[in-house]
Amino acid sequence: MLNYFERLHPLVSFLFYTGALMIFILLFHPVYLCAGLVVVLLIHFMHDYFYGLRYWLKFMLTTALLFFLLNPLFNTRGRHLLFLIGNHRITEEALIYGGMNALSILGIMAIFVLYNEVMTPNKLLFLFSKFLPQFAILLMLTLRFIPLMRRRLSEISAIQLSKGISISHGDLKEKLGAAMQYIQVFVTFSLEEAIQTADSMKARGYGQGRRTSYEHFSVNIRDILAILYLVILFSMIIFCRILGYGYLKVYPIMGTWQLSNLDYGILVLLILFLSFPILIEIGGMIRWRLSN
Amino acid sequence: MAFIELKNVSFTYPEGEEPAIRNLSLQVEKGQFVVLFGSSGSGKSTLLRLLKEEIKPYGKLDGEIRLNGSPETGFVFQDPENQVVAEEVLHELVFGLENIGLSTNEMRGRVAELVHFFGLEPLLHQKMQELSGGKKQQINLASVLLMQPDLLLLDEPTSQLDPVSTRELLDILVRLNDEFGMTIILAEHRLEEVFTLADKMIMMEKGEITVEGSPREVLKNIWNSPLKAYVPSIPSLFFARNGQGEVPLTVKDGRKWIQSESVYPLLDLQQKSNMEEEVVRIRDIFFRYDRKKDYILDSLHFSIMKGEFYTLLGGNGSGKSTLLKAIGGMLKPESGKIDFKQNCKLGYLPQNPKLFFIQDTVQKEIQDTMKRWGISNRVEIDQLIEDFEIKHILNHHPYDISGGELQKAAILCLLIRKPDFLLLDEPTKGLDPVSKEKLAKLLKTLNSGGVTILMSTHDIEFAGKYATKCGMMFQGKITSEGEPVSFFKGNFFYTTMLHRLFRGLASPAKEKESCEF
Repeated sequence: MLNYFERLHPLVSFLFYTGALMIFILLFHPVYLCAGLVVVLLIHFMHDYFYGLRYWLKFMLTTALLFFLLNPLFNTRGRHLLFLIGNHRITEEALIYGGMNALSILGIMAIFVLYNEVMTPNKLLFLFSKFLPQFAILLMLTLRFIPLMRRRLSEISAIQLSKGISISHGDLKEKLGAAMQYIQVFVTFSLEEAIQTADSMKARGYGQGRRTSYEHFSVNIRDILAILYLVILFSMIIFCRILGYGYLKVYPIMGTWQLSNLDYGILVLLILFLSFPILIEIGGMIRWRLSN
Repeated sequence: MAFIELKNVSFTYPEGEEPAIRNLSLQVEKGQFVVLFGSSGSGKSTLLRLLKEEIKPYGKLDGEIRLNGSPETGFVFQDPENQVVAEEVLHELVFGLENIGLSTNEMRGRVAELVHFFGLEPLLHQKMQELSGGKKQQINLASVLLMQPDLLLLDEPTSQLDPVSTRELLDILVRLNDEFGMTIILAEHRLEEVFTLADKMIMMEKGEITVEGSPREVLKNIWNSPLKAYVPSIPSLFFARNGQGEVPLTVKDGRKWIQSESVYPLLDLQQKSNMEEEVVRIRDIFFRYDRKKDYILDSLHFSIMKGEFYTLLGGNGSGKSTLLKAIGGMLKPESGKIDFKQNCKLGYLPQNPKLFFIQDTVQKEIQDTMKRWGISNRVEIDQLIEDFEIKHILNHHPYDISGGELQKAAILCLLIRKPDFLLLDEPTKGLDPVSKEKLAKLLKTLNSGGVTILMSTHDIEFAGKYATKCGMMFQGKITSEGEPVSFFKGNFFYTTMLHRLFRGLASPAKEKESCEF
């Protein structure tokens, strides 16, 4: 469990996740991508021994494989010809580019899985309710409506099945007809019920003025330090990126794999940034040991 | 000056032919507990809504409504589910406070206090959808109370709840009224529970107040009117026997009275029925909705005889609906077998009959059902429509008719196919006593025509009066069953008022000169 990381202010987690995503998108170099992926996997391991990731694994690998294979199939640009399939050029550039794409998408997905586990809807809601109160309400209602919709649809299909209307019997036309009727019942019913929800909201003063927020998360000194840490590292990375370091040039001319000194610096910054949750956990554990 | 004053108020909905409220005058004092009752469509909800500015219905309003001191008003609605806005309990609670722009500090203070009063600490971070209906309604009430209303309006808040949750909710209302002097106006069907709480009862009929006064006066008045069905069983017994003195409202008063007058129950031992043909037998079925959750049906055994009228009782979430769905073939048990001894045609009435209708008028739904089952003879169906008294709503949208009518229309659609086994999921939910009596008569007729009925209900009085057999469901099993008399005799809480009244008093020797159950 990421005990200590989860308990930080949602803004910290939010910064970390957006930063990590940007890193996987911007730092397009196999070394960076591999290093980043290893760190993110390490976080996953610390969090739940890959339990959450396992569920997505198949999807992630197929997507990555597709990215890897499809790029050379459609992209024939590049100077280093590897071999020909019929008339189709397979170039080294295309393979490398596809490979980096695959790594990047793996990293992004791994980040998103982690994000789902740590950033509960509540935290997101809290972040937004400060700046965009109306949006937060919309988000809250939507979040509630999705499971509600699933329950209602299954209820409708059970009831209509008992009446002899089913979407799993009959020919295509009948099935489609039944499905349309389900949706119709669902929409009418939901609209009807929504009137009551709206009344209940109005009766509790919704729309009277500016909303405030029942804050459960307050910013303390640790959060500020964490935010500083993340922001400084991230700005340094971006600064270097703007100067033209930190990525592998593939087109029009393949750049060198060799990392310059500043590139090594970026690697260090990147690892420091991504391993932030790990550092927090280790720090927390050490402090706990010391105090007990 | 009264707290709330209505003078000659009339209200007509935009396309209504008749006014929903007619020339109504009413006074409510500060700190009073007022109970509004009357059939569905009598204008109770409209009246309550007129008292709350934010949800005042659109339409033509005449007369004068005066709320003195412009009180903060709270409103709790009928359906616990539809009032929910947030996913988490805590967010639901503070929703109103956030809306009125209270500062975080003040919010925290109020929440801490109220959560403690309601004992909601363990629930704060749970998901709303995982709570029972009763708990949801408590949260809804708490959320309204956080806004510190001076006047609390409740529109049939207990109609979807089981008896235990109903009691809990009403107890909170009593405390609010007693301890904080909060003015409460409650619209309610189940008078058994509320007669003892109210300072003032108001009966409405077609938008008018027909009877008004203290509970005892009101009881006497409606006993002598065609609306007898509203009178709960203990006062009924008292009136039927021309009791002297004060009308007993509670079991405690009732027991005093029957001892002073030596009334004894007639132990109506129903003759052993000759129902021996089994319709369905269930042995050891297991069911759960999620592999990670507990079993909803847990090694359940059940069988029902042909011609039986079986009522399933039990708290919310005890598995009644699931059992009905499993028998109806809508759910497949994880293991175990549902064994139909005969080839029978099933009819299933869902808990929410709104979801039953697929067409946009009742008439079309009937025609659609006839087409689906290849029935072309309309004569019998017209007869049914006649018997059910729903001719006037045939061209209405199912959502525009009252709960009782909706129930009847759905049952009618079931009957088109001539089923011989009816599964009814809480058909008495939200019905007023008169509609309930009509429904009972209808079901009894069907039952005596040979239709087997299995229904779930929270309405113990209903089960006690009409069922041939009752079963109690608890944690996915049927824990006890029997004929109503013996079944209710054994129960302490899940039992009818009359059984509570006569508990331990029945004297077989004097059975002859007694009253009927």
